[in-house]
Amino acid sequence: MTEIAEISKAAVIGAGVMGAGIAAHIANAGIPVVLLDIVAEDGDNRNAIAENALRKLLKADPAPFMDKGNAKLITPGNIEDHLDLLAQCDWIIEAVAENLGIKRALYAKIETARKPGSIVSSNTSTLPLSVLAKGMPKRFLGDFLISHFFNPPRYMRLLELVAGPQTRAGAVDAIRAFADKRLGKGVVMAKDTPGFIANRIGVFWLQCAVVEAMEGGLSVEEADAVMGRPVGIPKTGVFGLLDLIGLDLMPHVLGGMARALPAGDAFHGVFREPELIAKMIADGYTGRKGKGGFYRLNKDGGKRVKEAINLATGEYAAAAKPKLGCVSAAKKGGLRALVTHSDKGGRFAWKVLSRTLSYAADLAPEIAGDIAAVDAAMRLGYNWSFGPFELIDKLGAAWLAEKLKSDGLAVPELLTTAGEETFYRKGAGRLQFLGPEGEYRDVERADGVLLLTDVKARTNPLARNRSASLWDIGDGVVCLEFHSKMNSINPQTLAMIGKAIRTVNIIANGYKAMVIYNEGSNFSVGANIGLLSIAAKWHVWFFVRWLLGSGQNALKAMKFAPFPVVGAPAGMALGGGCEILLHCDAVQAHAETYAGLVETGVGVVPAWGGCKEMLLRWTADRQRPGGPMPPVIKVFETIGMAAVAKSAAEAEDLLYLRPGDAITMNRDRLLADAKAKALELAQDYRPPAEAEIFLPGGTARAAMNMVVDGLGKTGKATPHDQVVAKALAGVLSGGNTDITEPLREDDLLALERRAFMKLARHPASIARVKHMLKTGKPLRN
Amino acid sequence: MTNAVIAGYARSPFTFAGKGELAKVRPDDMAARVVKGLMKKTGVKPADVEDLILGCAFPEGEQGINVGRLTVFLAGLPKSVAGVTVNRFCGSSMQAIHMAAGAIALGAGEVFICAGVESMTRVPIMGFNPLPHPGLYVKYPQAYIPMGETAENVAVKFGLSRAEQEAFALASHVKAAAAREQGNLAAEIVSFGKGKTKVDTDGCIRPDSSLEALADLKPAFDENGTVTAGTSSPLTDGAAAVLVVSEDYAERNGLDPVARVKAVAVAGCQPEIMGIGPVAATKKALARAGLKVADIDVIELNEAFASQALACIDKLKLDGDKINIDGGAIALGHPLGATGARITGKAAALLRRQGGRYALATQCIGGGQGIATILEAM
Repeated sequence: MTEIAEISKAAVIGAGVMGAGIAAHIANAGIPVVLLDIVAEDGDNRNAIAENALRKLLKADPAPFMDKGNAKLITPGNIEDHLDLLAQCDWIIEAVAENLGIKRALYAKIETARKPGSIVSSNTSTLPLSVLAKGMPKRFLGDFLISHFFNPPRYMRLLELVAGPQTRAGAVDAIRAFADKRLGKGVVMAKDTPGFIANRIGVFWLQCAVVEAMEGGLSVEEADAVMGRPVGIPKTGVFGLLDLIGLDLMPHVLGGMARALPAGDAFHGVFREPELIAKMIADGYTGRKGKGGFYRLNKDGGKRVKEAINLATGEYAAAAKPKLGCVSAAKKGGLRALVTHSDKGGRFAWKVLSRTLSYAADLAPEIAGDIAAVDAAMRLGYNWSFGPFELIDKLGAAWLAEKLKSDGLAVPELLTTAGEETFYRKGAGRLQFLGPEGEYRDVERADGVLLLTDVKARTNPLARNRSASLWDIGDGVVCLEFHSKMNSINPQTLAMIGKAIRTVNIIANGYKAMVIYNEGSNFSVGANIGLLSIAAKWHVWFFVRWLLGSGQNALKAMKFAPFPVVGAPAGMALGGGCEILLHCDAVQAHAETYAGLVETGVGVVPAWGGCKEMLLRWTADRQRPGGPMPPVIKVFETIGMAAVAKSAAEAEDLLYLRPGDAITMNRDRLLADAKAKALELAQDYRPPAEAEIFLPGGTARAAMNMVVDGLGKTGKATPHDQVVAKALAGVLSGGNTDITEPLREDDLLALERRAFMKLARHPASIARVKHMLKTGKPLRN
Repeated sequence: MTNAVIAGYARSPFTFAGKGELAKVRPDDMAARVVKGLMKKTGVKPADVEDLILGCAFPEGEQGINVGRLTVFLAGLPKSVAGVTVNRFCGSSMQAIHMAAGAIALGAGEVFICAGVESMTRVPIMGFNPLPHPGLYVKYPQAYIPMGETAENVAVKFGLSRAEQEAFALASHVKAAAAREQGNLAAEIVSFGKGKTKVDTDGCIRPDSSLEALADLKPAFDENGTVTAGTSSPLTDGAAAVLVVSEDYAERNGLDPVARVKAVAVAGCQPEIMGIGPVAATKKALARAGLKVADIDVIELNEAFASQALACIDKLKLDGDKINIDGGAIALGHPLGATGARITGKAAALLRRQGGRYALATQCIGGGQGIATILEAM
């Protein structure tokens, strides 16, 4: 049998939201994609549908492309004129309407055009593989599977794969490996049942919550406050999530489920279409893409007021911040305190969770290989922090069984199997889960996956304080982990950097490299500006000076340490978090890394070496046009505008990442990749020599001030923007230097400190800091 | 004194910087092609050329390394022809004509190619390495004042409303569109490229411009100002060249002398209202020619901005009907270094077409200067 060596070209047929999004994400992996749709009926351009989809992709927010240039990898076309292009493709994804006839007719077409060994998959979310593939030729059956992406494909990590009885193992393995390593997906194998795993449970949960909220007399805000954060679910909760998905989509999804599921399925017990929702859809309140949904932004009168619909009357009113005893109780007492609380929120939580968790427990053996797959699907596909079985462990399986019984509800067999045990446990230094026969099995990690969670399960930290820890991740590599609130950087974080350097430096310890990595949502949001606010209030400026100095010293020590340091960011790496990366020998970044020096937003300049490192990078870049000013101007624009890269690829453009740094698509592979990079650098490692830099001094300052004055006059820079930008210009010009005089790194650090201290005392900067702490948004004063 | 005469004029199409059809053409290539076109058009003997004087406002990058001399090589002129680059910002190529006229008067040569070029796509305004004098910027920041700001200052100082500026801008487009329609621009244009990529018409003219469309634009330089992109000349790529020879030489060699250089002048003014530079320069040149404004039949007044052009018209009491008959820089574009050669060559050509006696070509210059040339029909 012919097998393709690897996927080097793909096709997506169906240029709707999902198809186009999948094509964009495959392009993000650097793979060329053919994107086909039907021939456009109107106009002369037969490719109009696919071409329009490509144009929409470039405008969509959040951006489907990690780098706009990736759009060039997509070739739009139509299925009549360009079917022959499929002959070059290793993977052909069908993402057309959920219509069996259309899909099967398309498969027949694909079959005539594709090359032997190529793989065909359907992105169906409702149709079973057995029905799709029925009666298709043998070759097709061997190469066919379901690959179910979640929307939006770039950002949602789950990919459910469903293989048929005749699907070649090689085909499944090829897609699985490609999706994991190149697309960064968390691949979960699902069985061929309606809705697969995540939507089977997720749609039930959503529907159950809608019905129970209405019956329990909860407001939209209350329901989301309960069914969000306290359960480890994104704060959009239920109604906010429905607004995101689109209310108009739900009748199709629910109807599809109702038709596909057998009569005895618990789904039928919660399935109904509330009148209010039907009316909302009819009135155009389809969610965020429409006029609004359960929430809407009322812009009447020039203000933007967030409003929520009254589930009883259908009237909108300003959204309230709900105060529920159960939510407060959950903060202290956890999930059990939530579901046992006597208020309406507690009753709601119990009704929804008892049913959803029972449903999941009942279904697990039927829809997935094991409970770990169920939990993974809900974490990756619905962004739950914990899957159903992890939630059950929080409640206690035995406790839940007892409570179900006392409520007169059926107890799922798996709960009985668990008995007094938990579904997960740490055993023999490994994370284990409960198998169907009551035996524990190791949670399998693919080759090349290393999680700090697993390291933590088997070892104790080498060092630890409240904000950071140090772990031995094997092979002589130490991992520095941040774990303060939002991983903001404070004196303890800095102390741990020092401790880390000392630990690796002691030869007897046998360490040779360090990785900076954590498994929080964000690598680091930067220095804790709350400290700056306190300093301003009490005029303890010596403290700010000390913090600047210790930050600079810590990062300098890290840069010149006699061993390599690799930064491994994912999520936000802002301000001081970005400066840490700038001082690493190399960076292994997750593709979804959002790096930026955003200090000017709070009225200061980067002063832990951020200005210095950016200047060194831009002056070292050989691509830049000649002369002393272009690098200075580039850094001035980047820091002055507080430019944040919206992906690791964009970070390369801004030189937050350098050539030689690398990108990992799969979050779970980041630590292993970073560790490998650190070990590679550790061979014959020589620390960098201290750099010298020649800067133009006053003339550059004058040039930048001219730009700032111009922006002020055109109203593009506020008064304080101008103050901050001019202080930045002072640093980036090199101070009172001349182009013939070399500056040392310490000279630049001194300039950074001086500018920072001057700005930090400025009342307008203090106002910016306070505003940021209060609202999370920059103040334009 | 030996008289200098204009014996030919050619230019490239003027197209938008960045998005226009000449964006990919190097400025040295652009200048060379126009010079070649001028040589062919006039039939002047290459070996007789004393000097190629090339004006350029930002002579660096592809416009650097004495691009005047390089243009000699690129245009295939004999090595005996010298080459020099001159910079008086927007007045650069009119300055080239003044230098040629001066050299002819001095007996320092008989044949000069006076050209100008600017690729505003490939070399940005302010150049790649703006390194202003820090002390001067503190003591006298006007020395570096951005041009848009001067346009606003002039509008305020002379009380020019936004509507007046827009009417002026619209007139420029209407005149340029008509001139193009009537084939009055084609004769001066040297085409670029071949076949599908051939460029032989101007790219900046907006025949469908309207007062409504202009009124919709946001102020470009001051959020509370009156000057918009529509009432400013666009960033443009282009080159222009004029053949300047002694009157004797033209006669001996059977060239077609279109107009005589009657008088020239430059003058400084306050940088923050550089747009009125033409006023002082024109007055000087008129005095040197022994003429009054009323004696002038054809006027080419560069339209850097509508506000400054209107201010100059008002101050000099110019007759609107004589000004920029085939449209001005707001419609045609303003490739900084090339404009002076364009408006001087154009003034000479119009003098002949209109059957007048005297023409004035004048422009404002960044840093606070004006430059003017008075031509006499032959």
